[in-house]
Amino acid sequence: MNKHKIKTLQDLVTAAAKEYGDNIFLKEKHGKDVIEKSFNTFCEDVQRMTAFVSSKRSTDKPIHAALIGASSYAWLVSYFGTVCGGNAAVPLDAQLGCSDICELLNRSDSEIFFCDSRYESMIPEIQQSCPNVRTFVCFSTDFETILNENAPAAFEPVAPQALAAISYTSGTTGKSKGVMLLNSNLIDNAMCQDNESTPDDVILSVLPIHHIYCFTCDILCCLRYGAELCLNDSMLHIPQNLKLFRPTIMLIVPMIAETMYKQILAAANAKPDIPISAIANTVFGGRLRTIYSGGAYLRPELQKAYIDMGFQMAQGYGMTECSPRISTADPFDTACNGDVGVIVNGCQVKTVDGEIMVKSPSVMAGYYKDAEATTEAITPDGWLHTGDLGYVDDKNRIFITGRKKNLIILSNGENVSPEELENKFAGTDYIAEILVYTEDSVICAEIFPDNNICINWTDEELAAKFHETVDAVNKTVTSAKTIRRLRIREVEFDKTTSKKIRRSQAVQGHQV
Amino acid sequence: MLEKMKELICNYVEASPEDITENARFIEDLGMNSYDFMCLLGDIETEFDISVDENEIVKLQTVGEAISYFKTLQA
Repeated sequence: MNKHKIKTLQDLVTAAAKEYGDNIFLKEKHGKDVIEKSFNTFCEDVQRMTAFVSSKRSTDKPIHAALIGASSYAWLVSYFGTVCGGNAAVPLDAQLGCSDICELLNRSDSEIFFCDSRYESMIPEIQQSCPNVRTFVCFSTDFETILNENAPAAFEPVAPQALAAISYTSGTTGKSKGVMLLNSNLIDNAMCQDNESTPDDVILSVLPIHHIYCFTCDILCCLRYGAELCLNDSMLHIPQNLKLFRPTIMLIVPMIAETMYKQILAAANAKPDIPISAIANTVFGGRLRTIYSGGAYLRPELQKAYIDMGFQMAQGYGMTECSPRISTADPFDTACNGDVGVIVNGCQVKTVDGEIMVKSPSVMAGYYKDAEATTEAITPDGWLHTGDLGYVDDKNRIFITGRKKNLIILSNGENVSPEELENKFAGTDYIAEILVYTEDSVICAEIFPDNNICINWTDEELAAKFHETVDAVNKTVTSAKTIRRLRIREVEFDKTTSKKIRRSQAVQGHQV
Repeated sequence: MLEKMKELICNYVEASPEDITENARFIEDLGMNSYDFMCLLGDIETEFDISVDENEIVKLQTVGEAISYFKTLQA
């Protein structure tokens, strides 16, 4: 595919059909069967859906269509059908409750609501709370009818600068913001980096489909390279789907990497005569070559463990506002230096007061109907504040040290990154989760113990062990950064849907 | 069912089957993370040939609650 000719999602869908034709684009489970769709069929179905969505326009203005549900062919056809007609998709998080859905439908000015059967019961409430939403499409009952009733027709050209999506960030603090991504943003990010994918590759997509990391790096990259996209029907079924679809590439978040590693270790313990690399190969379906991790910090020890088992494992870095990739690791780099990859092509990165700032054609147009937040996020000359603290080394690799908004500013004016302290506990097997914050002007570490290890420890033993660990960490930092209070909690921390610990949550641990 | 559950749980936690009781909470007591729990449910679906409702699983906190729920699916 000549990537320089691709300027919009419509160009990408058309070029993929032309180049990969009747090759399989997508596989998904329907009950116990697996259905397959070719690149040609996908393009044709997107054209049918484009005709449907465009018919719902009451003015010349683009229409906004929200989508919610698990990963499915219907979701993808509806998304592309919206965007390929010059309209904007609003992908919503499938874990949202009805009141949050209604709020985002109103804030995004959505007029069409696509959903899977799980949300059908919410429609009466949405109708009442969201008067602008006039069209409801339930994938299970309406999707096939729409495809049958609308003939495929060549796309009307869409400008690269046309709005493609409004993506609401989950965020670890504050209210979610609607990130406006243009066709040109998404295409730039999908095309900025060449990798070794080919039409022989099979990608098992396990990330939430509304998430930009999944959308750009799973979906758009499959269309670009002609790879086969297999949809995971549920988080419950990843182990089974690995065996069913036998992927060669997977994008995951660190929590999935942790659990899969536990499963491999359990199997290795049960069969000590079989090499762990052979067990890992079987667990992942027998053909897995490359794992990309993103969304949160991946422990270098875990990355090394996967590499030692024979996989390429690379960590990338990005954010929704950047469509999302800012850096991506070379999967052949096995050094595990703790970096989050090399800056992608066409992306400029600089640091100002320790904060990473980015300028690239992938950077969003702004936040929807939030000029104030947009002005705060993007400088007049186009540099995006990532809010992350870090640095770039002489090999263009990015290293992240923390979040600017989480910075603890001490009374002496010194800044402390809580993540820098939290990361010092990485690899401590009896700590499952840790959050560092200030309380009464002192630095406090709140710990959720790993009950696999600590299950038989008394409270006194637990307190003594954690005090000993904190003391050891304190010896590695300046006195201003010393952790002076310790809390132990009995429940895991509340997390966002992308499994990041929410930093703003009530203190629950008892002081020890 | 409890014995099979214990065996499956031990694939995710470093505990002996005899330490796992019906009152044990998956996350707080057994130390599972939320994705461990999802994978365990997937194993149980396969083992007992049932299909769990993803809206219901968020309510399951203990081994005993899970067993009661799975039994309703088998009935």
